[in-house]
Amino acid sequence: MPRQFAYYPGCVAEFSSKELNATTKALAPLLDIELLPMPQATCCGAGDIAEAKPNLYLALNVRILSEAEEMGADILTICNVCTLNLRRANKMVKEDPRLLEQVNGELVNAGARPYQGTIDVTHLLWYLATEEGLSLLEQRGPKGLNGLRVAPYYGCQLLRPSSVMGFEDPDRPQSLERLITALGGEVADYDGKSRCCGFPIILAREQVALRESHVALAGARDAGAQAMVTPCPLCHLAMDAYQRKTEQLMGEEYAMPVLHLPQLIGLALGMPTQSMEFKRHFTPVDDVLATVGA
Amino acid sequence: MAATTFRVFRYQPDSGDLESFHQDFALEHEEKTTVLDALLRIQNEQDGTLAVRYSCRSAICGSCACKVNGKTVLACMTQVEEAKAESGSSTLQVDPIGNFAPIKDLVVDMTPFWEKFKAVKPFLIPDGPAPDKERLVPKAAMEKVAKESACILCAACYSECNSLAADPEFVGPAAFAWGYRFAADERDSQRKDRAKLYSGEHGIWDCTRCMFCNERCPKGVDPRDAIEKLGAIAFQEKVTKDKGARHAKAFLISMKTGGKLNEQLVGGFTDPVGGAFNAPLALRMLQKGKLPASPLTHKVQDRDQVTKLMKNVKETI
Ligand code: SF4
Ligand code: SF4
Ligand code: FES
Repeated sequence: MPRQFAYYPGCVAEFSSKELNATTKALAPLLDIELLPMPQATCCGAGDIAEAKPNLYLALNVRILSEAEEMGADILTICNVCTLNLRRANKMVKEDPRLLEQVNGELVNAGARPYQGTIDVTHLLWYLATEEGLSLLEQRGPKGLNGLRVAPYYGCQLLRPSSVMGFEDPDRPQSLERLITALGGEVADYDGKSRCCGFPIILAREQVALRESHVALAGARDAGAQAMVTPCPLCHLAMDAYQRKTEQLMGEEYAMPVLHLPQLIGLALGMPTQSMEFKRHFTPVDDVLATVGA
Repeated sequence: MAATTFRVFRYQPDSGDLESFHQDFALEHEEKTTVLDALLRIQNEQDGTLAVRYSCRSAICGSCACKVNGKTVLACMTQVEEAKAESGSSTLQVDPIGNFAPIKDLVVDMTPFWEKFKAVKPFLIPDGPAPDKERLVPKAAMEKVAKESACILCAACYSECNSLAADPEFVGPAAFAWGYRFAADERDSQRKDRAKLYSGEHGIWDCTRCMFCNERCPKGVDPRDAIEKLGAIAFQEKVTKDKGARHAKAFLISMKTGGKLNEQLVGGFTDPVGGAFNAPLALRMLQKGKLPASPLTHKVQDRDQVTKLMKNVKETI
C-alpha cells in the first residue's frame, strides 16, 4: 500500500516553478507515495495575508486543513512557506479549543466543513529524512550522485521558529545532509545554509533581498559546491532566477546551479531528465547532469 | 567538577592592536555553571583585561547577550554543560553579538540599538489632559500586549537579524515589538501615526521573515509576530502605500479573484513604477514560463466559501 498524502504543492510550485510540481509528481510513485489532489485548497497566504489580516489567514488555512481531514490524509508540502503557514495555523487551533471553535463558526457560516484538529502537516524533506524515508530510497537502489558536491540550502521557514516547525535543531540541521550522503553525493558545508534567501521582500526591497541571498550563494560557492539544493521553491526563485541580478549588484560570480530537492533525488534514482524540466532553470545545470551521468 | 575550554573573542583596540583574535582559556568548574559565571571567573583568575558586559546575572537586565558557538544567548541564562551537549563540543566559542561594532572583547557599541528604540516612540501618547486618577485598562486589553511587554532590551534579536545584516538602517525586531506594544495599547492615541512612522523605508516592510528574532529571544517576545501585527494595524488604519503593503494587498486580491496566487498581479501591483526596471528579468521569467500567461484562471473549487470568509471574518487586532 502506498502512503497517501493530501498533496499541497502551493502556488509557486503549481504555477511559477512548475518543474518542482512535475518532478514531485513523477517521483512520488517511485517512493511509494500517493499524492491526493486538494481541489478546494487556496493559497496559504505566504505570510502576507497573515500580515494584513491575521484572522482571515487563520480561517483560510484551517479550511485547507479541514479539506485534508475530510480526505483522511495528512498534508504533504514541498514549500517552506506553505509548511510554516499551515503548521502555524494548525498549532494555534490545536492548542486553543476556544479559538478552534471560533474559526469553525466562521467556516460553517461560509458553508465550509469545520475542522476537528486531527491533521498533521509535513514536508517532503521531513518524510524522506527519517529512517523510514531513507530506507524507501535505499530500496530503490539509487544509481547515485557520483560524488556530486552539493551545498544544502535550508532557508528559514522550514527551520524557524522551531516551536512551530520542530523537526530538527534549527542551528544544526542535518536532514538535507543525510539525504545528500545517502544518495551518494558529497556535502559542501558552509555557514549560510540557514540564512534567508530574501524572497519575501524581493519585490518590495530588492537590494536588501539580493544582499541577503548573496550570503548563501557566496558561501556555497566558496565551499566548492557544484550545485545547491533547496526544499523551497521561493528560495529557488531567489537563488536561481535572481542569481544574475545578485551577481550584478554584488559584482561577483556564483555560476551556481540550484536544484529543487525532488530533482536531486530524481537524478540519484535515474529519473529521465526531461521529466524534471531543467530547461525552466535560469542557471544551467549541464555540469551537474554530466557529473551524475544523467 | 567539569572542564571546558572557552575560545573567547578578543579585541583590544586601546592597546594599539586593531586585529581581533580568539583566545583559549581552560577552566575547571562546577557542573552547574553559567557561561557568564565562567567568563567572570576567567576575568578574575586568568585575565583581568577581559571585557564582559553584565549586571543582574539573572536574565533581567539584558546586558549579557553574546554568541555561544554561534548562537545568540544571554550568557547568564546559559548553562555551560547544556551548551556543550547541544553543540556536541567540549569547547565553547564565545563571541560578541552580531550586527553591532565591537568596542572591546565581548562589549559592542549599542548606540544604533538605542537610537532605533527611541525612534519608535516607545512610550504612551494619550489624548487630552491627564485624568485625576489613573487610566483604568481592562485585563483583556493588557493581555494583547503582554508578550511584547516582557522585552528586556538585550538585543539578542538583532544579533542574527538577516534584514539588519543587509540593511544597517533597518529599525529592527525589538524596537518594533515596543512599537506594537504602544500602538495596540488602548490608552494610546497615535495608532495611525505610528502605523505611518513604522511603514517607512527601513520599517516593518523591510523584515524578511527569517524568524531568527523569534528563535533567539530569551523572553518569548516573538518580535517577528509583533511586526506582523503592526502590518495588520497598518492595514486597519489604511496605511498601505508602501510596496511591502501593496505586496500583501496583491495576495488579498489574488485570494478574492481565484483563491490562488496571481504572480503577474503580485509583481505589477507591488511596484508598478520600479517594476519597469525589472523588465529584462520579467521577460526572461516569461520565456521560462515562470510568469504564467493567463493569471486569472487559478480558481479553486467552492470558491464561494472563500469569498464569504473574506467578507465575514472580522479582524480583532
Ligand atoms: S525582543 Fe527579546 S531578544 Fe529582542 S531585545 Fe527584547 S528580550 Fe531581547
Ligand atoms: S524576522 Fe524580520 S525582524 Fe526578525 S530577525 Fe528576521 S528579518 Fe529581522
Ligand atoms: S546579566 Fe542581566 S541579563 Fe544577563
